[in-house]
Amino acid sequence: MTEPGPARAVIALENRLSLSAPATPEIMDLVHAMLEHLWISNPDISDRDRIRFEMSVIEILGNVVEHAYAADHVDVPGQDGRRFEIVIGVTDTQLMAHLGDNGLPTALDLSGVAMPDVLAESGRGLALATAALDDLSYERADGRNLWDLLCLRASE
Amino acid sequence: MIEFAVHTRDDGVGVVTPEGRLNMVSARRLKEILSELVSAGTTRIVVDMGETSFLDSSGLGALIGGLKSARQAGGDLRIARVSPAVMTVFELTNLDRVLRARESVDGAFDD
Repeated sequence: MTEPGPARAVIALENRLSLSAPATPEIMDLVHAMLEHLWISNPDISDRDRIRFEMSVIEILGNVVEHAYAADHVDVPGQDGRRFEIVIGVTDTQLMAHLGDNGLPTALDLSGVAMPDVLAESGRGLALATAALDDLSYERADGRNLWDLLCLRASE
Repeated sequence: MIEFAVHTRDDGVGVVTPEGRLNMVSARRLKEILSELVSAGTTRIVVDMGETSFLDSSGLGALIGGLKSARQAGGDLRIARVSPAVMTVFELTNLDRVLRARESVDGAFDD
């Protein structure tokens, strides 16, 4: 998975919402607030689509934040702290998100992500996002981690 | 933001009600609350999810951690009043089999 996913189209949507912020756990509430705005502006989106999209966005962001903290022990010359950008948007048929961060490369193969043992207390995030989304793509480009998330809206 | 209401019933069952979103930040607090309850001898716990609007893998991890420590102490942890949206997260992880959702808090330990 090294090509931009179909959800990359979100960066050109007229109604998109975007945020650039430090990659800290506390910033999650701001992203929840952005999603809340999306739900209020689009009341026709089903509850199931909302939760699977919101949960996936938060899982990927959680991964970015955890990775950012893990990387804090490494000195990167000229880098002023870990940041991320997020763009979210909705069309009649799709929910899309694009995340980018300046953290260290994430070494993973999304096709190999499996759900851990049912009694495991961690390691479920990416598997959950993969299961909940219709498409999840990751690539490393220009020193940044780029994630594209797609959720096809259920027909009523 | 999230608030946790915690109380122990007359029958000794501890009831924890997360009010808001259970994510990476709030899951840490839930884990502490569950661990404190079990340490203090409250090993039968109901997590009332009726006021929980969001759940992710960190929240699931905290619930599983609480379930394991409650069972190790001879008790159990049960969940009740799960909204259909939050139920989706349990189903996607197959955790609905381990943490079967109960309809009511009062009846969560009836079986």
